[in-house]
Amino acid sequence: MSTQSPDSFVIDGKLALPYQYFAGRTGSRFLTSIRDEKKIKGLKCEKCNKVFVPPRQTCERCFEDISENWVELENAGTVTGFTIIRYEEPHQPFKPPYILAQIKLDGADTSLTHIVKGVALSQMKTGIRVQAKFAKNSTSTIMDIDHFRPIKPKFELGYSYDELEIGMSASFTKTITESDVYQFAGISGDFNPMHLNEEFAKMTPFGTRIAHGALPQSLIAPVLGMKLPGLGTVIPEITVRFRKPTYFGDTVTATAEVVEFIEARRWVKLELTWTNQRDELVAEGHAIAIPPTPMG
Amino acid sequence: MGYKKKNRHVGIVGVGETKFSSHREDVNQAEMIHEAVRQALDDANLTMDDVDCVVHGNMELFEMIHQPDLWHTLGSGAYGKDAFRLTTGGTTGGTLACAGDNLAASGMYDVVMAIGFEKLQEGHTTGGITNMADPLWARKLQSGALTDSAAVKLIEEFGAERARRAAMTYRIIMDKHACLNPNSHRAFGLDWDQMDDLMENSPPLIGDLRLIHMCSQSDGACVVIYASEEKAKQITDTPVWVRDHITVHREETLDLCNNYYPTDTTHRFAAEKLYERNGITNPLEYFDVFEMYDPSAWWGTDWLKEFFLLEDDDHLKLVENKEIMIDGKMPINPSGGVIAANPIGATALVRVAEAAKQIRGNAGPHQIQKPVNHALASAFGGTMWTVLTMLEKELNW
Ligand SMILES: [Zn+2]
Repeated sequence: MSTQSPDSFVIDGKLALPYQYFAGRTGSRFLTSIRDEKKIKGLKCEKCNKVFVPPRQTCERCFEDISENWVELENAGTVTGFTIIRYEEPHQPFKPPYILAQIKLDGADTSLTHIVKGVALSQMKTGIRVQAKFAKNSTSTIMDIDHFRPIKPKFELGYSYDELEIGMSASFTKTITESDVYQFAGISGDFNPMHLNEEFAKMTPFGTRIAHGALPQSLIAPVLGMKLPGLGTVIPEITVRFRKPTYFGDTVTATAEVVEFIEARRWVKLELTWTNQRDELVAEGHAIAIPPTPMG
Repeated sequence: MGYKKKNRHVGIVGVGETKFSSHREDVNQAEMIHEAVRQALDDANLTMDDVDCVVHGNMELFEMIHQPDLWHTLGSGAYGKDAFRLTTGGTTGGTLACAGDNLAASGMYDVVMAIGFEKLQEGHTTGGITNMADPLWARKLQSGALTDSAAVKLIEEFGAERARRAAMTYRIIMDKHACLNPNSHRAFGLDWDQMDDLMENSPPLIGDLRLIHMCSQSDGACVVIYASEEKAKQITDTPVWVRDHITVHREETLDLCNNYYPTDTTHRFAAEKLYERNGITNPLEYFDVFEMYDPSAWWGTDWLKEFFLLEDDDHLKLVENKEIMIDGKMPINPSGGVIAANPIGATALVRVAEAAKQIRGNAGPHQIQKPVNHALASAFGGTMWTVLTMLEKELNW
């Protein structure tokens, strides 16, 4: 008895509530096929044209006995709703936080409640595609499906048109060395002595060798092709205006920023800038980008 | 009393009962309920579309699940219908019968389905019952559902030998009835030559209450479909009319100190009021069958006195002369009663269902052979709670 208050006693109680739950024959068959065959099965009411999972002996709409009408479902489905469990209490299967979701398996008309793992809590959303991962050790319960996790696309892709926003920007920085210039000369076939012959270059307005203009310019390629929009992007147009030379040893930053949507074609226009370590504008221009289209 | 006559007559048009047993692993709760639902619909020749309202009842804590009526929609047919949940302990089935009658009589619903169920094997009955008592004053003192209060009372009144013999006679009669009923959970085939052995050797539970006297823990479900007079006549040629019902609850009559009821029992109080307002002066003559909620043979024997408003040892004589047998003057529990099967939330509704079947004349192997026109059914809850239901063959009162 708690006596925190001198004139009002409080009883602390605890009751043990042991129980069993009989899954029944139908429920047990559902669990058996998950355990032994790694297959999730539902029961179909032909009359209502509905597939129920978890299974039920009787269609509660039309009262048909459907207990023998098993159909095999895909082990993948779509999240129709979810919640993130953040409080901790002793009856939970895992230490929070974790995601509890309603998952409509492909081929089913009802949702199954289960755990989703493998997705950042902040990134969890309704509509994502998930796949069942079966447990290593069976308990002959619904936890023989250990959890569901997002189906990863076959290829990673950059931002789609719908994911891009005005103002998004990305950049890439690299120091241009003598070795880079010599390799670029080899790649392009441009052996102009301005880039290769120091004695010749001393007589030019620059007084020393400079890099090919296209060399710093090319630093925008990793930005557009790998960052923004990113993997899978096609660039049908780039325009550049060169403002300053790039000397050996200069560190050049190429930056792209989304400035315009070309709605009719679902393309975007990006503003491009190249700067060096002295904050001088090396070049500027723009690009038209065809962002990657989500596959499957 | 605020009692007024019913708004309109109500008839029972369909009943369904599962087989009662200690284990039903083959079905989950919704599936077990569905067996009785389907049986009752078939019995009434109705579909779920004809049902306007579903009333669901059990002892909520006994299976340790919350809001069972929601789980059971898959089997109960309550999908998209008006529905209620009742949980009044041992009387749940009796309260379901009251609700079915009242809801149909009210005019709000023409056809009402009452569902009682329990799957005691899944839960922990004593855990649930213990939780019923005040945590401060009573919980640590509780003995669960077992008490020998009726044995103490009968032995004190009539002497140990006569009382024990009467209780065992009652017990053997109930088992003989249970053996006729294919739905019985427990039917041992007891006979009179086992009387002395059982009185001596059945394992004692509390005082003179022995294992053989006591009801079981059962799994099972029962469904009764109620309909307004007009509907009932359309649905069936043999509606069983619900003449009246009464509920009396008075917890303080359970006197823990001396095992005596200091005032009238709720049984006697309920019976007196019910008979008075229906003009029944001699219930023993009036009724043709009584389905009693008899949790033990001791209680069953003792309570005959209360329900039939008897004096002295008339109730013992009824038992001793075997007048309570199926072919006797006042057949008690042709079904075998609660000692034969006790799926608690269904138990009291089974009494009503069985009484209705006796009136219809299609109870099966345990049908009373004489005509049954007037039937009484009772419900009992551990905190002195009584529900009585009166059923009639003819709509002529
Ligand atoms: Zn259906």
